[in-house]
Amino acid sequence: MIYNLGILFSWLSFSVLIYLFFTKSKYRVHLLVRVNLFLQIFLFCLLEIGLFLNDFSVSYIANYSAVSTPPLYKFASLWGSLDGSILLWNLCLSIFMFLYLKYYKIENSNLDIKIFSFITIFFVGYTVFSSSPFAGCIELATIGCNKSTLIPFQNTLMSNLGRGPNPLLQNHPLMAIHPPMLYIGYVGMTLPFVAATSRLFKRDQSDDWIEVAEKTTYVPWLFLTIGITLGAAWSYEVLGWGGYWAWDPVENVSFIPWLLATAFLHSSKIQKSSKTLLNWNYILVGLMFLSTIFGTFVTRSGVLISVHAFSNGNIGTYLLIGLTIFSLLFIFIGSKNIEYFSESKKINNWFGKSGFFVLNNIILFSSALVVFIGTIFPLFYETIYDRQITIGRAYYDIIVGPMLLVLLCLMIFSIKLTVKNINLNSWFTENSNLLNLSLAIAIFLLINLNNNYFLIVTTAASIILILLTIKNMVKRIRITNTNKTYWTGQIAHLGIAVFALGIILNVTQSYSTEKEINSFQEFEFNNSSFFVYDSIEENKPEKTIIKLPISNEITTKYTSLNIFRNSSQQAISSPAVFRSLSNDIYITVKFIDEDSYKLIVRNNYGILIMWIGLFISSISFIPRLKKRV
Amino acid sequence: MYKKYLTFALITILASVPLFLPNDESRFDEWSKSLLCPVCQGETIYDSPSEYADDMRSILQEQINNGMTDNDIYEFWVTRYGERIITNPIEKNYEIVLIPLFLVLIFIYVFLRKLYVKK
Repeated sequence: MIYNLGILFSWLSFSVLIYLFFTKSKYRVHLLVRVNLFLQIFLFCLLEIGLFLNDFSVSYIANYSAVSTPPLYKFASLWGSLDGSILLWNLCLSIFMFLYLKYYKIENSNLDIKIFSFITIFFVGYTVFSSSPFAGCIELATIGCNKSTLIPFQNTLMSNLGRGPNPLLQNHPLMAIHPPMLYIGYVGMTLPFVAATSRLFKRDQSDDWIEVAEKTTYVPWLFLTIGITLGAAWSYEVLGWGGYWAWDPVENVSFIPWLLATAFLHSSKIQKSSKTLLNWNYILVGLMFLSTIFGTFVTRSGVLISVHAFSNGNIGTYLLIGLTIFSLLFIFIGSKNIEYFSESKKINNWFGKSGFFVLNNIILFSSALVVFIGTIFPLFYETIYDRQITIGRAYYDIIVGPMLLVLLCLMIFSIKLTVKNINLNSWFTENSNLLNLSLAIAIFLLINLNNNYFLIVTTAASIILILLTIKNMVKRIRITNTNKTYWTGQIAHLGIAVFALGIILNVTQSYSTEKEINSFQEFEFNNSSFFVYDSIEENKPEKTIIKLPISNEITTKYTSLNIFRNSSQQAISSPAVFRSLSNDIYITVKFIDEDSYKLIVRNNYGILIMWIGLFISSISFIPRLKKRV
Repeated sequence: MYKKYLTFALITILASVPLFLPNDESRFDEWSKSLLCPVCQGETIYDSPSEYADDMRSILQEQINNGMTDNDIYEFWVTRYGERIITNPIEKNYEIVLIPLFLVLIFIYVFLRKLYVKK
């Protein structure tokens, strides 16, 4: 039932989109965009209903959900694997198409909706022709389903219990929030692409491409920021990976569009104010969108191994074709506008506003480039030299680290940028008190720490930035005529400064140790003592949890091991985290036998500071909500 | 004017801090952050909570206690697991850093050339 309906309605949605692509009537465009949105919402609900009814005749449900899966994770199983996540992708695209139509549509042309529907056709086409979450099961595996069909009205087979989601994906409620946030950010990069390409296609009809592209980039940028933050928090707080960021390929490909979008949010401002970087902005908008597709290709086609990788199948080829088509479209429209781009003004004041924005763009784009190269380097080595290498943290620390540090230093000047070159002397006179105060605070903080110059410069720069920004906010927040995007920027910068302080502390100060210990024993770590109780076993339908209570002088926390049924995967350990502003005592456990344990005890610095920083950056949207007075 | 001297003095103090308080990350942490856990899809043995990583950590700890040189430790792991076990291949392969840096420089050159105006 679900299987037949799902496949038929996918086809219906596909046909509606084709009709939308060809139709000329304005009325029909409005109608069909809504019909498509309705169909996509319906498909989403249909798969959810299937998941809750345990309809295991649908291959996807049999493979990624189980009878014993708790409701929340059944709900989230929809995006627990490739085919379902493409369904979510389609839903996001359809919602964005509707919003675009409502707020940003070009008045007298349907071209933008044509491009938008073309992109949507491409992704909906995947579920129609290649692989659908509604595919019916025609050959059972021991658990779950082995083979499926996309043709409706076949005789399907029903497996008994279902395989259940990957253990990693049913360990914490964040599974229900983190992936959709990322998807909204990722898919949202389509908006500026559509806005720019369609408005530049026939420029005489509409010349506001940069404004629309800028406005539509901010929303996906925000969701991407939140999505990445939640992912980092999940990995650190729950999965017990110890780290929040591993430079894993999937993390990288979410970071690349973020870097590019951040670059664009800056460079679009300077195009608006001084008509420069026209061509560059167009390139950035294109790369933002193409990088999301490339990222999906790299991580979903099975060419790279990663913590997040799932299912390969034929999506690789499909996405490559898409990547080619969209790139050609992008290049074609770009080449139509060569003359317009050549009107782009050159830069006179390298130490004024435009110079700073150019530097910002150089650094952000270079970082994106370096992350991109680092992600595909292992592939490159394997194909050419037949060598398997791993590019880890050190590569990014060496190249991206210093670049982002320069960026941090540049932000200090962003508080008050003038068109003319900056006068360092008067800047210094104006800020010397705060500057000295910040340096003194930095010295005070750095005593007792493991030092290197990277830490020192980062700490000093972020403290200067924090203090100057706060002073500026206090002084100027009442001035109503200041541009609201200016305050968005200032809040985001403040967040980044706090974050930088946290991350540099974390990277340079953290250390770990291992303790072998028995029940009811005490151990010392970082000048405080911890008491270990006896382990507790807890049985749930989908998993067994073995908990070990540990208490310090103030509170008791649990570190646990989650063993999932029906799963060949390793057990997941969750950490006990004793938190303070400056550092976390982070304990994960390995059970040796009945009452003896091996504890991995880490002292992780700066984590709470990082979360606070990212939170501040995430609420940078608040000034934008305010209506212009 | 005295403010400038104060700033200068503070910067001098900051710059000399590492001379008195040097970095002392343990060799064990440094190494465990650079060895890949082969069964965990992209995590180092420092980060991974898996049993396998745990065993590897024990071996590594023993090697460091026995005072093996960095080169010996490198040889030990690479002969057993191949090159991909080292997540920090840069020290032995400079091109991994040089190629991206070179590309970045080309990008910067092209980018600035387009924007530069002769006076």
